[in-house]
Amino acid sequence: MSSAQGLVRNQDRRRINGPEESFPPVFTEQPPQSPISRQGRTTSDVRPIFLQPGLISQANGSAYIETERTKIACSVYGPRQSKNTAYNEKGRLNVEVKFAPFSCERRKAPMRDAEDRSIAMAIQQALASSVQLELFPKSTIDIFLVIIEADGHEGCVASGSIAASAALADAGIDMFGLVISCSAAIIGLEIWIDPTQEESDSANGSLVLACMPALGSVTSVWQSGKLTPSQVIACIETCESRCTDIHSIVAQALRENTKGET
Amino acid sequence: MASTSISKAEKSYIQAGLLANPPRRADGRSLRDFRPISLETGVAPLSNGSARVNIGRNPHDGSGGTEIIATVKLEVGNAVDDDGLSCTVVCSPSAYPHLSSGALDDLQHDLTTVLHSTLSHPSLRPKNLEIIPGKKLWSLNLDLLVMADAGNIYDALFIAARVALWDTKVPRTRSVEYKNPKTLSLASENMDVDRDTSSGFDTRKVSNAVDFELPDYWDEGQVLDGRERWPIAITLNLAPSVHFVDATLQEEASCASRILAAYSYETPTEPTIQCLRMFGSGELNVLGVKALIKASLLLGRIPSVLNILGRRQKSTQLR
Repeated sequence: MSSAQGLVRNQDRRRINGPEESFPPVFTEQPPQSPISRQGRTTSDVRPIFLQPGLISQANGSAYIETERTKIACSVYGPRQSKNTAYNEKGRLNVEVKFAPFSCERRKAPMRDAEDRSIAMAIQQALASSVQLELFPKSTIDIFLVIIEADGHEGCVASGSIAASAALADAGIDMFGLVISCSAAIIGLEIWIDPTQEESDSANGSLVLACMPALGSVTSVWQSGKLTPSQVIACIETCESRCTDIHSIVAQALRENTKGET
Repeated sequence: MASTSISKAEKSYIQAGLLANPPRRADGRSLRDFRPISLETGVAPLSNGSARVNIGRNPHDGSGGTEIIATVKLEVGNAVDDDGLSCTVVCSPSAYPHLSSGALDDLQHDLTTVLHSTLSHPSLRPKNLEIIPGKKLWSLNLDLLVMADAGNIYDALFIAARVALWDTKVPRTRSVEYKNPKTLSLASENMDVDRDTSSGFDTRKVSNAVDFELPDYWDEGQVLDGRERWPIAITLNLAPSVHFVDATLQEEASCASRILAAYSYETPTEPTIQCLRMFGSGELNVLGVKALIKASLLLGRIPSVLNILGRRQKSTQLR
């Protein structure tokens, strides 16, 4: 209180006194609900996918995936002997995700982060039922993903799963089928497939589906946010039909890569 | 969670029981039956809201069951870098004696991720956590301590979180602002002073609040806004052709996969799904997933859990 009084007394009244401190304007009204529009795609379009298997020569298998501003490199090591773990008659799938420090709008400190593990968990879940782990007793398959650039949490999970599955195929590890993953967000009342960061920020909720289109089986469902049951079911159906399309792209990339080797 | 390992014979025995007609479970429940759930609120006197939840306590000697203590602590936080709600799950080593400390860390991290990402979603955020708009808020810390795990940990965690948040009281605040005292302008009557004339162009309503004070005692306050929105989770465990609820540890270890759905009953008739996760490596197709979502919606148990919570709330108001 005393400082406020002192200020009034010491003011030079012959000059125009500026305010002591200033703040940027804060608008209390929210911008209208759907200002964002999809740049050049319809609600059911995925971003163009670039997939290159076998990029990292020292790994048993690897893949690099790029969907516009999401860029992920994935390498697979193993199956190799499990260390420091108890005997297990099935193999173990170990997924580790790292964000590059420059991958997000805010710098990611190069340390184990909460987000890394939740993405790793989601990718592990997506892949777990596709690998024939009973063929690799006492061994571990290590999958390392480096997220070079991220554009949306959901996009990272979906693209990461695709890259990891392609890398497993590249490593020649026995699988039941390729895992394809696709994300969807509910914006207003519409379903937008493969949302970017900006789009998923303004969404009511989002869903990532991972499936094996060749077998018609679902390996993972990962939903967050507020959705009605009918919206969830609609999202699952739309994602599944997209996954079938993506499957042919991934299969094509793998086929071209093996042709180049022989 | 593959936290218990059971032999193949035990596994097939449990599965055969589940698939038999009528289904047989070790404790005589049907596939849609929960173990008894007991709730207690106000267990931690130093917190703003707390709850103890036990699923499956032995009625004779009061032992066993999955036991969780949840507490809510409110702290004054900075509105710029705080998003209001954070959830942490801590697993007591005595609940998982067979896990190494590294594995225990991973487990509690996985549990934390599911709870935090579900409960801190903007669609569930209470509106009365704000103290001074844009400057200060109550940052809500929800800590869940797993004292014992006898299966069905996710359902127990979500129930504990809901009851603790339901029990939470937010202290009322009154904002304080400074004004130029009138006496000063009277003293300088003969000087050339700008009078405070209100301009017709000035339509702003600026809040000058700089600080706040607490008119309440520490244990008074108002309840969290929108507390009927907090979700309740239901885990469906999948044996090859049937699904069942509230699995014990042995039953969990015997089935390959489970699906977790958290429902929010803002309006009793139209539940919304706040979280849907699949765990494990089972085989499912899209039709199966859809059927499971519908089945978990129809499970009469969720409304009855809500009823228990409602009755609980009435009795706590007498406290």
